[in-house]
Amino acid sequence: MATASGNEPLFVERFPDEAAVARANLLVAFVALGIGAFFGLVQALHRTDILRIIDSADYYTLLTGHGVLLAIVFTIFGLAAFFHWATARSLDQPAVSSLFSWAWFGLMTTGSVLASVAILGGLVPSLGISADVLFTFYAPLQAHPIFYIGLAMFIVGTWLSGADWFLSYRAWREDNPNERIPLQAFMVLTTMIMWYIATVGVAVSVVFFLIPWSLGLIESVNPLLTRTLFWFFGHPIVYFWLMPAYMMWYTVLPKLAGGRLFSDPLARVVFLLFLLLSTPVGIHHQYLDPGIAEGFKFIAMTNTMFLLLPSLLTAFTAVASIEHGARQRGGEGYLSWLGALPWRDPAFAGMAFAGLIFAAGGFSGMINAGMNINYLIHNSLWVPGHFHMTVGTAVALTFMAAAYWLVPQLTGTKLYSRPIGLLQVVLWFVGMVFMSNAMHRAGLAGIPRRTAEPQYQNFDFVTPIGSIFELRVQIAFGGLLLFLSVVLFLFNMLLTAFGEKSERPVDEYLPEPLSGPEGSPRVLDNLGLWTGIAVVLVILAYTLPIAGIIQNGGGLFGGGLPVPVTVFPDVEIVKTVLAGAFAALAGVLL
Amino acid sequence: MRFTKAQALILIAFSIPVAIELRTVAGFFNYDLPLIGVVVIEFLFLALLFVLYGLYGEKSTPAAQ
Repeated sequence: MATASGNEPLFVERFPDEAAVARANLLVAFVALGIGAFFGLVQALHRTDILRIIDSADYYTLLTGHGVLLAIVFTIFGLAAFFHWATARSLDQPAVSSLFSWAWFGLMTTGSVLASVAILGGLVPSLGISADVLFTFYAPLQAHPIFYIGLAMFIVGTWLSGADWFLSYRAWREDNPNERIPLQAFMVLTTMIMWYIATVGVAVSVVFFLIPWSLGLIESVNPLLTRTLFWFFGHPIVYFWLMPAYMMWYTVLPKLAGGRLFSDPLARVVFLLFLLLSTPVGIHHQYLDPGIAEGFKFIAMTNTMFLLLPSLLTAFTAVASIEHGARQRGGEGYLSWLGALPWRDPAFAGMAFAGLIFAAGGFSGMINAGMNINYLIHNSLWVPGHFHMTVGTAVALTFMAAAYWLVPQLTGTKLYSRPIGLLQVVLWFVGMVFMSNAMHRAGLAGIPRRTAEPQYQNFDFVTPIGSIFELRVQIAFGGLLLFLSVVLFLFNMLLTAFGEKSERPVDEYLPEPLSGPEGSPRVLDNLGLWTGIAVVLVILAYTLPIAGIIQNGGGLFGGGLPVPVTVFPDVEIVKTVLAGAFAALAGVLL
Repeated sequence: MRFTKAQALILIAFSIPVAIELRTVAGFFNYDLPLIGVVVIEFLFLALLFVLYGLYGEKSTPAAQ
């Protein structure tokens, strides 16, 4: 890991252009966070029937806004800020072209604004624009074309941001031909390779099917195909959210704890495992979809279980690094070292809370991933309970906590208030415990997700302990605490940004890991090799299922009658395609 | 080691998930713990925490320790 001594100039002084781009990304992220959190509060109060200020028909507009603004805009602009900072810092050089950096930022922002206008247009029926398609936006729900066009611009913007970081890496490599890739840059590059592979699915879905369909250029689409292409991208996006959070846990959290990263090679292995395994698992979101043979779902489940490995490795490394830090601070004993950690620091406390909640979210994720037990909770409120623990806390709380340490580096001003920051992260933890725990319980009771009216006539949901009313109150109370937490965070960030300049607003120094990259095999840094393996795994996982979906679901554009699902026709169509390809190749070569 | 406000706040936060799931734990032992029981236990825990903070907190006098 590249380090900076304690006396070096601030990041904002060394890389003013990169700091400006990172600040701009964080600004968009925080605006999205504020709006999305407000929508979340309205939803929590509405569906629990505590307070209703919107019509139930508008619930889906806010639900889409909440999902898109938080799960796409907030997270990915946050990622872009962290990665732009990490690339410049770890390679110790500015971006190749700041104009290019502003170009991708502009494209992502324009795309986000277009998609947001399409979504919010749903609140004004006279406009004739709406996009109540939820975060998952696959057919048969249809949005206004500007939603899909905005989304396409946003995705292209993320591709260009990755190109920006790869160009920086290439420039660095020319000057450092034999050096190991600095750890943070390695994390940025592997994450972006994973993203390039994963977004192929959503790009095909949006460009070839959803945009022409929304413009009326084609009459129909194959709904299962668009669902499958969405989940081709929809699961790895989870890791696109998580990997920047992991980057902060690996490279910043140990320093905040007072110690050093336990193992650099282990961190590289974890990021490579995510690159390899994130994409060929998306079908585990489709266990209840007819039209995909059970065998393919079983393979997706097996791959998903492999994905637990890098998360467990991360849990081990993070805890080992934190314990090392606590012992450096005088901590002793089996557990009493926990008291020596810097709980006063909101950046540390927030990341520690995020990791703890992520462990709980990981366990509920195993239930989601299990093909048989998934039937118990599929499409129930359990699922939002799960992802509010993962993206809603592991990622969001880590981003907010990291901002307490990073924003002063980008602005040159001191954090406005550490006590308010600590209160904020504690409120988030407590609010999320109330809300997501109750959501999990409600899901076990069978309460559905994605509905403004989770009540049925002549039917009462039953929970084994407590009552459904208690669960509703807990969800609403938790949602309220989460919203207050966001208000405190934004207030703190705003006053920090406009605070007085300081010579040393924060200690930027990141120490070397306890175990560096020197002893690890250099093949870990062979990004071309790992990209090739990742692509092969995706081809193996998706070729047969997609062939089956096209053949059994009435073709690329649907419209035909579905036929019973079997594996053998899928094999036949692949054999036919491969035979045709070989014949064509033979014709060219001979 | 002194007991800080931040540590007290963190302990309160960690007590919330324990309190919420206390009835589940009681259920494992076939005991139906009422909601009011959970509230009382949490209240007692908070009271104990305040007492400990008063005795060993960062603003307590050395004589109190």
